[in-house]
Amino acid sequence: MKTSNIIMVGVGGTGVLTAARILATAAILERHNVRMGEIHGMAQRGGAVVCTVRIGEKVRGPIIATGTADLLLSIEPVEALRHVDRISPQGTIVVGMYHIIPTAVLLGRAQYPSDEEILKNLRKFGKVVTVDVADIAEKAGNILTMNTALIGAATGLGRIPIPQDSIISALREVLPSRYHEVNIKAFELGMKAVTGT
Amino acid sequence: MVKMMDIAEILTNDSPGDKFLLLGNEAIARGAIEAGLEFAATYPGTPSSEIGDSLYRVASKYKQLYFQYSTNEKVALEAAGAASIANTRAMAIMKHVGLNVASDAFMTLNYIGVRAGLVIVCADDPGCWSSQNEQDNRLYAMLGDTCMLEPADSQEAKDMTVAAFDLSEQLEQPVLVRVTTRVCHTRSEVELGSIRPQRAKPNFERNPFRFVTVPTVARLRHPILVEKFQRAKEISEKSKWNRIIGKGPVGVITSGVSYNYVIEALELLGQKATVLKLGMTNPLPKRKIQRFIASKEKVLVVEELKPYLELHVRAFAQEKGIKTTILGKSQKLFSEIGELNPRQIVEGIAKALKLKIPKGYAKIERQLSKVTTQAPPRPPILCAGCPHRATFYELAVATGRKGVYPIDIGCYTLAIQPPLDMADLLLCMGSSIGTACGLTAILDKPIVGTIGDSTFFHSGLSGLVNAVYNQHPVKIIVVDNMTTAMTGHQPHPGTGVTGMGKVNPPIKIEEVALGIGVPYVKVIDPLQVKESIRTIRDAVAFDGPAVIVSRSICALLELAQKRRAGEEIIPYKVDPEICRGCQVCTGKLGCAAAIWKGEHAAIDPVLCTGCGVCAQICPYKAIQREE
Repeated sequence: MKTSNIIMVGVGGTGVLTAARILATAAILERHNVRMGEIHGMAQRGGAVVCTVRIGEKVRGPIIATGTADLLLSIEPVEALRHVDRISPQGTIVVGMYHIIPTAVLLGRAQYPSDEEILKNLRKFGKVVTVDVADIAEKAGNILTMNTALIGAATGLGRIPIPQDSIISALREVLPSRYHEVNIKAFELGMKAVTGT
Repeated sequence: MVKMMDIAEILTNDSPGDKFLLLGNEAIARGAIEAGLEFAATYPGTPSSEIGDSLYRVASKYKQLYFQYSTNEKVALEAAGAASIANTRAMAIMKHVGLNVASDAFMTLNYIGVRAGLVIVCADDPGCWSSQNEQDNRLYAMLGDTCMLEPADSQEAKDMTVAAFDLSEQLEQPVLVRVTTRVCHTRSEVELGSIRPQRAKPNFERNPFRFVTVPTVARLRHPILVEKFQRAKEISEKSKWNRIIGKGPVGVITSGVSYNYVIEALELLGQKATVLKLGMTNPLPKRKIQRFIASKEKVLVVEELKPYLELHVRAFAQEKGIKTTILGKSQKLFSEIGELNPRQIVEGIAKALKLKIPKGYAKIERQLSKVTTQAPPRPPILCAGCPHRATFYELAVATGRKGVYPIDIGCYTLAIQPPLDMADLLLCMGSSIGTACGLTAILDKPIVGTIGDSTFFHSGLSGLVNAVYNQHPVKIIVVDNMTTAMTGHQPHPGTGVTGMGKVNPPIKIEEVALGIGVPYVKVIDPLQVKESIRTIRDAVAFDGPAVIVSRSICALLELAQKRRAGEEIIPYKVDPEICRGCQVCTGKLGCAAAIWKGEHAAIDPVLCTGCGVCAQICPYKAIQREE
């Protein structure tokens, strides 16, 4: 298969690493060669977080270079913007419109741009799909399922080269059993949100 | 067949051929167990932490293994070194700067050598993802005449760890396995090997004229070390870890994670080249490298950080009078600063070989620089509800920010960020106390050092003894969140929990301080704001060294405990009718859960842990617990 480069970005503590791990595990279940790059330690604490999942025979390292991601996933618009250079011009950016305001903005030292501006800028780099992940996660029953909803949406868009069933199996492998149901629901609602079915 | 399992089961799985998706760090732990590991010691440090943590998960169940979280890396290496001398396969695990702490033991261990295999894993952090510097520890291997292996991915991380034990036993020398953040923290598939039986029983054979390094012995041992290193050179010449991949008149010499990027870059550029991938990088295979360079038109050396390989390669070429052009950092094709990425390597190779760069990197980058100016910065910050935030807020209020505030290594270093902005000086683990001693001796103002609980045990003790001995009026706040939080919540002497999962009597920091002779010692709960401010003021006014233990459990640990117990977390909320928008909660405390909504403050119910600190500092009592 062709190499698939997926980059998941967001804010430490919102489940970015877990979501990326679900994707990597799903790829393994499909017997693909995988590299998953993680962020640990200092960088994890409420800061901007980047995880990579690279799938395909020729993949060696964890890093996705400038302009080579097929898919950029972020529940947070500004974080999508921060890492948008990674997306390939043919790639898709799936962004949840859940705003997490950085301290610098609260202190009046920086401004949080409008959604309009962010989306306009994201579109300069690739195709953009927005998803109301907070709404989906709340409907599913836990706000912390936003990243799962995002994976659902990307799956619905046909941008993840793994069958839906394997993603759900991976989700069961990675998450504690008490979170299975709510996450599967978020995943399915995420799919629905983009396919309309 | 790829299987999913808990890491503890994977580490002791005895079905060779099974495959798992493992972090580089988990793979190292597995490799050690395959090699018959019996004794392991570590001090946690990113990016090495998950090696120890993986062993911790099995140690209580796996009879063959003794595992400990040592108080610091020097102790860890001394303990592991001694175990190996007593005929027990041992491993010491640390991050790159940890080897600085352990370097005294490290240097002399090379002189006396070992008996059972001793592997030292050191994880470098190019790019300073989680570290105070990005030193290149390959130079330690050179300094110590220590054999070194450098894996490129999880499979190699496992396999080379096994090989490192073999090499160590073959030469009776410690062997360094040097990894970097991107090897440690990348998951890829690993095929397991078989687990070896234990070595013969531990025994300590007296041999003072080998193991007691008085000068006479050291003088005897140095030539032995040099002779063994000479043997190691022959091993390196034939090592399967130094291998050639591909064909072409251009040669690339590389090692570690850079190898992956080189292969990807050549593919992207459509460039044929012969790659010499070096896995045993000390001693280097001189003759092999000379043959390689001599057979090529041009040779590129691709490596992260220092031009370690490059310096050797140039020297080897010069020695044989080889005229091949050697390109690398000397030509500024690759940076000595930060970690490498595939793009830098594509560009470096393209420049060296005068190829066209296929991707429009520069164009995308120009475009990015236009849009990211709009993205507000988001540095790592203390978590919502973190008790450290309360301590630093209280310290700022109590001293009116008129002091100097040396700080230390841990989550609390994030007090450097506004609005707390309470960090003035930091060198290394434990430096808050040593630097505070220096400052009090020459400045006439409050000097308040902050140090974490685990860091205090790691290397705060000798600094504190110095303060008492020399009667420096340092004020030391030990921010005790009852865990080693930053690296993943490992236990430490203050928790009493050991690497074997046993619960020993915890060592209380306040009792340690009293025992050392600190005349002023108090314990505060930082979540009680007024009382804490009062105590800090009192300590600062005290004429002499003072220690305050600011004790409150890590917010993340508490949340996890509550979630496991099914306990509800009741967030606080702002009454918009009462809130006057004074911004004390958002602008002075700066809790991640305190946000701004239109004209007034609000609390993010997802992030709020219910600690109640914001409610105590709100001048208008606008913040209350949700009903």
